[in-house]
Amino acid sequence: MRRAYVTEILRSIKGSLGRFLAITGIVALGCGFYAGLLMCGPDMRAAADALYDGTNLYDIRLVSTMGFTRADAERVRDVAGVRASMPAISVDAMARLGEEQMAVRIGSLDIDAAKASESQGASAILSDDGSYLNRVFLREGHWPSAADECVITADKAVAGIGIGDTIEAIYGSVSLDEVLVSRTFKVVGTVSSPSYPYTGSFGSTTLGSGMIGEYLYVAQDAFVEDVPYTEMYLTVEGADSLESGSDAYQELVDEVTARLEEHEDELAQARHDDLVSAAQATLDERKAEFERERADAQRELDAAKEKLDAAAQEIADGEQEYADGLAQLEQSRVQLEEGQRQLEAGEAQVASGTSELLAQLSSQGMQASTLAEARAALERSRDQVSEGIGSVAALEAASNYVDELKAKVARYEDFIAELSGEPLGTSIEQARAALATALETTRELAAELEELAEDPEAEDAVVRSAAWMAEQARQLETRLVQLDHYAELLLQAREDLASAQQELAQLEEQLASAPSREELEATRTRIAEGLSAVSQLEAAQRQVESSRTTIAEGWRQLAAGQDELAAGKEKLDAGRREYEEGLATYEKSRAEAQSAFDDAQRQLDEAQERIDTIEVPDLYVLDRTKSEGAATYHADTMRMDSIAAVFPFIFFLVAALVALTTMTRMVEDDRVSIGTHKALGYDTAQIAAKYLAYASAAAVTGAAIGIAALSQVLPIVVTSAYSIIYAIPLQAFPLPVSVPIALRSGLLGVGVTLLATWGAVVSSLREAPATLMLPRAPAAGKRILLERVTPIWSRMSFSWKVTCRNLFRYKRRLFMTVIGISGCTALLLVGFGLHDSIWDIIDGQYGPIIHYDTTVALDDDATELDARDLVDYLEGTGEVTGIVRVQQENMQAGVDAKGETIRVSVVIPQDEHITDVITFRDRRTHEEHAFAENSVMLTEKLSLKYGLAPGDTVLLFDQDEIGNVRGEGHPLTVTAVAENYVGNLVYVGRDAWASVSDKTLPFSTVFASTTPDDAVRSALAEDLHGREGVSTVVFTDETINLYRNMLSVVDMIVVVLIVSAGALAFIVLYNLTNINISERVREIASLKVLGFTRGEVYAYIFREIAILALLGDVLGLGLGILLERFVVTTAEVDYVMFGRSIHPASFGWSFALTMLFTLLILFLMRHKLNRVDMVESLKSVE
Amino acid sequence: MAFVEFIDVTKTYHSGSVEVHAVNGMTFSMERGELVVIVGPSGAGKTTVLNMLGGMDSATSGTILLDGRKISGLSERELTLYRRHDIGFVFQFYNLVQNLTALENVELASQICRDPLPADQVLEQVGLADRMDNFPAQLSGGEQQRVAIARALAKNPKLLLCDEPTGALDYQTGKQILKLLQDTCRTTGHTVAIVTHNSAFTQIADRVIEVREGRAAREQTNEHPADALVVEW
Repeated sequence: MRRAYVTEILRSIKGSLGRFLAITGIVALGCGFYAGLLMCGPDMRAAADALYDGTNLYDIRLVSTMGFTRADAERVRDVAGVRASMPAISVDAMARLGEEQMAVRIGSLDIDAAKASESQGASAILSDDGSYLNRVFLREGHWPSAADECVITADKAVAGIGIGDTIEAIYGSVSLDEVLVSRTFKVVGTVSSPSYPYTGSFGSTTLGSGMIGEYLYVAQDAFVEDVPYTEMYLTVEGADSLESGSDAYQELVDEVTARLEEHEDELAQARHDDLVSAAQATLDERKAEFERERADAQRELDAAKEKLDAAAQEIADGEQEYADGLAQLEQSRVQLEEGQRQLEAGEAQVASGTSELLAQLSSQGMQASTLAEARAALERSRDQVSEGIGSVAALEAASNYVDELKAKVARYEDFIAELSGEPLGTSIEQARAALATALETTRELAAELEELAEDPEAEDAVVRSAAWMAEQARQLETRLVQLDHYAELLLQAREDLASAQQELAQLEEQLASAPSREELEATRTRIAEGLSAVSQLEAAQRQVESSRTTIAEGWRQLAAGQDELAAGKEKLDAGRREYEEGLATYEKSRAEAQSAFDDAQRQLDEAQERIDTIEVPDLYVLDRTKSEGAATYHADTMRMDSIAAVFPFIFFLVAALVALTTMTRMVEDDRVSIGTHKALGYDTAQIAAKYLAYASAAAVTGAAIGIAALSQVLPIVVTSAYSIIYAIPLQAFPLPVSVPIALRSGLLGVGVTLLATWGAVVSSLREAPATLMLPRAPAAGKRILLERVTPIWSRMSFSWKVTCRNLFRYKRRLFMTVIGISGCTALLLVGFGLHDSIWDIIDGQYGPIIHYDTTVALDDDATELDARDLVDYLEGTGEVTGIVRVQQENMQAGVDAKGETIRVSVVIPQDEHITDVITFRDRRTHEEHAFAENSVMLTEKLSLKYGLAPGDTVLLFDQDEIGNVRGEGHPLTVTAVAENYVGNLVYVGRDAWASVSDKTLPFSTVFASTTPDDAVRSALAEDLHGREGVSTVVFTDETINLYRNMLSVVDMIVVVLIVSAGALAFIVLYNLTNINISERVREIASLKVLGFTRGEVYAYIFREIAILALLGDVLGLGLGILLERFVVTTAEVDYVMFGRSIHPASFGWSFALTMLFTLLILFLMRHKLNRVDMVESLKSVE
Repeated sequence: MAFVEFIDVTKTYHSGSVEVHAVNGMTFSMERGELVVIVGPSGAGKTTVLNMLGGMDSATSGTILLDGRKISGLSERELTLYRRHDIGFVFQFYNLVQNLTALENVELASQICRDPLPADQVLEQVGLADRMDNFPAQLSGGEQQRVAIARALAKNPKLLLCDEPTGALDYQTGKQILKLLQDTCRTTGHTVAIVTHNSAFTQIADRVIEVREGRAAREQTNEHPADALVVEW
């Protein structure tokens, strides 16, 4: 192209920057939106893939109805295509978290691996351990290190639960005691897990509301030893290099899945064998233990029995003793009584003896009234007699003494005579003298002889005669001494004799009048007899006394014996009682032990039977599409794709119109120049090239800017909106730009613009140069239909008339404006309507349909009594009304046993009062459906999904723990379809339910309404949690808040839509106004010259634009309804039905905002109008 | 005092650093009811005079009076009202609103001013009684100019300003228009000012103001102006 030509194009751009920018802007918007929205889905998928790969998330999850062991993990790893395997345990439990109760999933985490891992960026965790799958990001705190520590999600807040708080598992889908070491877990950290990308629900469960509200990771040792792994996670070789969810990825995973399914049977059989042998070993051990225990118990019982028997013997002995004692006592008593009688006889005898004696004594002159007196008298008499006898005896003694003394005197005289050698009768002195003379003589002879003898020559005879004579002398000397002695004695004896004779004489004198000795002796004998009688009596008396004492003592002893015996008896009785009690206890224990053993035996038998009937486990091979979080996310990204494919069409349409009008105007402006060029010999293509170049410059610039900007902005906005409910980190900025999408979008944008430009240029170029040189004849004024309505027309001011005629005069502009503005309104309406639809889920559900706000569920094993108690309690509080009992069952619904099914909550009301708390009605007509015992009501979304209408048959399927359909389904005939927004429910009457199950329904869920007061509710909740059998208490407000939080995503999208609608409105109106003004400069100038005020000029020009905007606005509302419906049905998920109506206020807002945009643009365009110079009116027409 | 007074009026345009004196010390006057022709070659400043007199532009200095009212120095808003009530303007290229019929084009003006003449009457007066409901595109140039004159007259202005009213018309039609303007002046007593480069028009004027190089080079009155139909050019 020639340089002059390029220069001209550049100049024309510079000279009409507004026009250029209008095309640039609309193409930027159109391409940008198209590319940006189209890239949202891929970007989100890429973000998820980065997270999944970065955290080594499983590709396949194996679940077995009987769990796994490490050995199974090895077996699985051997399957071709499996890169790594990681067994894990998870258990669902109802837990208390702060004030709330909810279902939680407690999963095992390899703490060592977790501790050794290191997070890198937002989406990756590095670890040396290749078999550490599903790696978890630690956000706060630390990893659990004890069996009662856990980490919880950082991606969703649960009121009142954070680090340091405690979570208590109440009960589980399986018995928690068999699985968990501890029932309470202290939160020590928060984490993000790639296994749970969807924070709205962490999965479904059979517990509680059916939704997992929180997940916990605990260390392996928080689980009971030897608990089997519940699942096994696998990664597939090469899957990480493919994008998760892509066809290639799915194909690769499917291959391995198929291979695993081939090995399913042998894996299952191996698991079965392991299980059976382990169980049998355990059972055998148990059995042995049981036998041991039973023997022990029997021994103990026997010992007890023995003791009891001994006690019984002792008691019998005691009783015998007691009887003996009693007999003895009786005997003693008889004896005592006999003694008593004898005593009394003795007493009588003594008394009669005494009185006899006393009489006898009396007759003897001894007065006595008692025995003692008798004795005293007798003794006195005896003494007297004794005295008498004594006197007699003394006389006799004295007489004897005298005789004795006489004898003595005689004997001494003999001695003296003998000694002295003198005859008897010689006096003592003579006798003595004679002897003394003899002695003298002898002594003289002896002395002479001695002198002789002393001569030494004296003869022996002399000597002997001398000795003899000496001897004679000594004898005589001795005789003399003896004589003296006898002499003295003789004297004494004579003296004594004299005094004795005197005494004797006295005595004889005294005794002269005294009775004789014989008499005395007789008296004495009598007295002695009397005394002896007294003594006898006294002895008898004493004996009587002694007997009395003995008998009294006997009685006392008898009494004591009786007491003793009574005490003995008491003891005996106590002993017997004790024995009887002991016996009873023994019997009871024996019976108990027996029943316990019977039970144990039965259990053992059952266990044996269970082992014998252990089936080969069912093995499920599940890939990521079966993971609720990953699947929901993937579905959302796909939904994004379909919305992206439709939404930007408005922008492209408007881009085409903008290009068309703008370029038409440009060509018109350039008429003369085109004519000149033509006249100069340029051909059509060359001339057209200028405009095409101009348009492409604008379009390409716009496309480049738009794609570059919005392919970043929109995915970021959309992803961050989704990050409210998805814990998938955003990709690092800048986001990758998909070249195919960018090219497609750019080409589309540029192509549309060029096509429109060509359309605008080609008609002008067909004209001959001469005509082109002339100004185009102004389009003729035309009468419009309205003029025929004279009453209106004639009342319209000229400016209204002009406006009306102008509206129809420039049809292209009309279309561009109407479509552009209607696009703007439509976008706004989609935004607001989407907002309405989504908030209507809540507003439509809670209030118009669901009237209860409190749900109390009982445990599975709660009884009818518990339920009635609960109802009574609730009624008693005075704060709870509208109490209705229902049974809720988690099932699946479908129309074909082989086909797709979805989870439904089946509600079987106890009675027809259910209509007090739930309104069953048609959404459109609001006609209410009565609830009968044979009713089967589907919620609307469910009926739409399967195209079910009243009279059709729906199948309800039972499901197992993992959520797999079981059985062929129970067919039920649908009776009505009820308006409903949240969840898929089937309301079934009792009669209808009877065909599904004949089990007695516990109606263990209570719907009710509670005073809307936080204090009342939290008190009620606390009371209820404390009650036996209550498992969950849910206030709908909490659910509503949960939804509100989730749905705030929508507000973000509304903002995006408002901004883009504003941009669209701006570009269209700016362009329109620009063209309008520049095309009518002359007219405007003339009006000014005519004296039109500014206001009048604005009104004259802008009214037209305002009316077009108004028209577009109204049309946009219609377009918006269609577009909103499309978006709503596309964006809807299985679980909810969006509201189907747009609120009047949203129409109002969309309308008003569009008008506001219009007014804003017009306000800005005033300056342009003010700048129109009146002098223009004087200029000639080109 | 004359009906219109231009006293030492200057209009200076700034074009970059250069000052251009479009009008430089212009002084003239007009009497009520006169047909005045302002004549001069291109670039002499007659359009500037027209602009200032018509309230489309203001003077840099000097005084402009109309019917004793000072026009120079009015605010933009006052000028708008001045144009609205006191001035009737006839353009060289008629400047009719294409989307309005002849009648409506007249009403366009008459609806905004204080005491307008009835639109249909004015159209009758200009000889378009039977073309009233036609759109401009359906009318000939002369007819369009008649409509334009009617539009100006309907406002019952103090001064009827015509900018080369015959410039876009053929000779005969131009004559007809001139005749109409002359007749209007005579019969209705409106003061009419015609701005033209065609000095032949001076014959029909009561007063001729010749403009040269921004000044009123000559101002003269015709005691016996010629009838428009007899003028030749």
